[in-house]
Amino acid sequence: MQRISVPKILSAIAICFGGLSVVSTANAADCPIKLGGLAPLSAPGSVTGGEAMRDAMLLAERDINAAGGVLGCDVKVVIADTEGLPEKARALMEKLITQDNVVAVGGGYHSSVGVAGKDIANDRGIPVVFAETWNDTITGDKQKYIFRIAPLSSWASGVIWQFAAQAPGVKKVAIVTENTDYGIPAAAECEKGLGSKGISSTTFGVDIGTQDFSGIVERIKAEKPDYTIVLLTGEAGYNYTQQAADAGIGPQDMMFHANQAGLESKSWWENVPDGNLAFMARIGVPETMYNARAIKFAADYKAKTGKTGVESYALEAYDSIGVLAQAINEAGSTNGDAIVSALENINHEGALGNIYFPYGTKKDPAADGKGDEWWHQWPDPAITMVQYQKEGESSPGMTIVYPDVYKTGDPIYVD
Amino acid sequence: MQYSSIFWWTILWVVSWGVIGGVVTRKVFLRKDLDTSNATLGGSVIGAAFGPIGLIPLWVRVPEITRVMITLSSLVVIGIVAAAFANADPDNNCVSNGSFVASQVTNGLIIGIIYGLMALGLTLIFSILGLVSFAHGAFYMVGGMLVYYIVNVWFPGTHPLIGVFGACVLTFMLGAIFERLFLTPMYDGRVERPVEYGILVTFGLSFTLTYLVAAVAGSNPVKVRRFFDFPRIRLPDASDPWLIKTSRGNMELFDTVSISNPRFVAAVLSILVLLGLLFFLHRTWTGKGLRAVSQDQDAAAITGINPNRMNMLAFSLGCMIAALSGAVLVQAFSWLPIVGQIPEMRSFVIVVLGGLGSLPGAFVGGILVGLVEAAGTGCVPNAQKASSYIPAYGMIILTIMLLLRPMGLFGRKFASGAHGKF
Repeated sequence: MQRISVPKILSAIAICFGGLSVVSTANAADCPIKLGGLAPLSAPGSVTGGEAMRDAMLLAERDINAAGGVLGCDVKVVIADTEGLPEKARALMEKLITQDNVVAVGGGYHSSVGVAGKDIANDRGIPVVFAETWNDTITGDKQKYIFRIAPLSSWASGVIWQFAAQAPGVKKVAIVTENTDYGIPAAAECEKGLGSKGISSTTFGVDIGTQDFSGIVERIKAEKPDYTIVLLTGEAGYNYTQQAADAGIGPQDMMFHANQAGLESKSWWENVPDGNLAFMARIGVPETMYNARAIKFAADYKAKTGKTGVESYALEAYDSIGVLAQAINEAGSTNGDAIVSALENINHEGALGNIYFPYGTKKDPAADGKGDEWWHQWPDPAITMVQYQKEGESSPGMTIVYPDVYKTGDPIYVD
Repeated sequence: MQYSSIFWWTILWVVSWGVIGGVVTRKVFLRKDLDTSNATLGGSVIGAAFGPIGLIPLWVRVPEITRVMITLSSLVVIGIVAAAFANADPDNNCVSNGSFVASQVTNGLIIGIIYGLMALGLTLIFSILGLVSFAHGAFYMVGGMLVYYIVNVWFPGTHPLIGVFGACVLTFMLGAIFERLFLTPMYDGRVERPVEYGILVTFGLSFTLTYLVAAVAGSNPVKVRRFFDFPRIRLPDASDPWLIKTSRGNMELFDTVSISNPRFVAAVLSILVLLGLLFFLHRTWTGKGLRAVSQDQDAAAITGINPNRMNMLAFSLGCMIAALSGAVLVQAFSWLPIVGQIPEMRSFVIVVLGGLGSLPGAFVGGILVGLVEAAGTGCVPNAQKASSYIPAYGMIILTIMLLLRPMGLFGRKFASGAHGKF
């Protein structure tokens, strides 16, 4: 009788466990493969943005399945309504992972939702690619499973304050911000940046969902600013802008930066009829510079929603699902660690451009002298400043006024 | 604040003598077997205003504490606090900028009138049915949403005032149907705990309306165009319109106070509704019937008034008034299915502040909350915090009122069977 050596027994056990592991992965990849999709679909969240992201993520699901799916399975995007509330985000992330059995999560609009939800996903080893959450700490905590394709808050805010600082005659800026993980750091970044250029600024904080701004409008009016920066998401941004316009300090009375919810032009003109000449920041390249994927997505999105343009958060949401699907395919598994490894090596040709993550476990951001916030951060999203220059104009027709590389027209500065 | 210690020492002085005045005055009145309903409030404000100089004569002579005494002392307290604030923070806009103060006061008054209108509906329902309606915010939302649908979706081009009228009719009917279907068990003993039942069933209505509207209308913000544009006015002359200057969306008075068109229109409509309601309650048979039921249902029934019908009328009217306040504000704010939540909470604060069941109390309470919110937003030195505290300002006033006069400004202790008096 042949004797079996101990190493052979151990090898056999290892093979058995390996086999079990493969079986386990196969089980996890039971069809359809589910991906979570975070979007605010109820107030106080930005519903306008949430609905756009939901539509985009469902289009991504359709396109991925039409192209053969992932690991031979169809993909199903489980949409979760965050309401823009951090407490809801934690519960939803738990539900997505434990009850809906998603293998990864995309989407996400409000930073506070991202900040609250990321720890749950990270602790449970579920990769997340955040689409539109700007707060620096989301990637700044250097968590293994957390990625982002939205710009950093410090970076996006930089574009906003730099544009304000170069506008003619700006000596004093009023910043109206929401008391959230998006608004507070963004306002602080703007204050700091403007201060570095010798421009004074005052920040006014409001709670998310505030409707009546009459008191604060009067206070800002008394401050006599040259420029207003509004960092309020959702309908609060609409309410502030129109109430400011009623009081004579709106976009047609002074230089005025409105939040990007205004890029949903139908909703903007209905809620802010006096909102012409407002500046806004837009993520992504202009429509004239779209790549093939973005052109196809834009056509599908317009047909689905009846809109005349594509909001930046819709592009981001679409790509957050697309990049996850490619990562799962390249990982050959739905295992979280394998997906992370694939994401760190990915080159995804998305609607926003070529998406990749140069910093992570392979290379720390510090190696290039960058801050921790660049961990798992896509470094290339384009940010432009756009302006409505005609009443009733649709957002694709907005004039790109900054930076020069994308510029399609000169800004109209209100004196 | 540059000299904050002066301000905080003054506050400490005022609060200390206020507390001493409130506690001791009530004991003095109790010992002398006098009416104590105003003793705590009166003692507090007199103590806060005049310190021992006011309190010792009060305790020795023990006069009846009248509303005039309370009002004058309250004004003195406000004056002391304002003077201390002015001394501590002389650069504050509330101190150095008269135009700003006038604008804030005007805005506070205007929004306060609108708050008051909404609270009127709640207090009307409470005074007749003894029911705290948790569907009040939902009716406020429905009112605005109906105007939007009538004016922008169902009959485009319709004048918004017709939309307001339509919203009133529809919400009145909805209130009547709901009252008949769900609230009648409260009256005839079919439910064991009528008060709790009423709260739960109106909660249910609130959820149903909110999610029904969300399902039908979606959750994107909507808005109705301005009801009216201001005519172009320049007085006394076009070159120097220091008296009044208007543009389509704004009115400027005395070169200082600026009032936006939607708020002005909403406030004027609110005042008209209040006057109409007062006329209805005091000059019509049905209104007198409602007042009678609010005072004593059994006695009213003996005189031939049908309390059941009055219940239905009161609930429907209350719902309609809530909807009306939403209907006049849908031109000022972006409208969503959850838009009623904050105004509903504010209405509860106002109703308790003004005195449960008191119509004048609701109106005065609304104005008070509007003014306090405007003062807080305008004067708190830290700009980042000033407007974050908006929901807290009303609660602070409410807490003080509950400590000093639990029945509210115009409230009274309930007699059996009566929920209030208006």
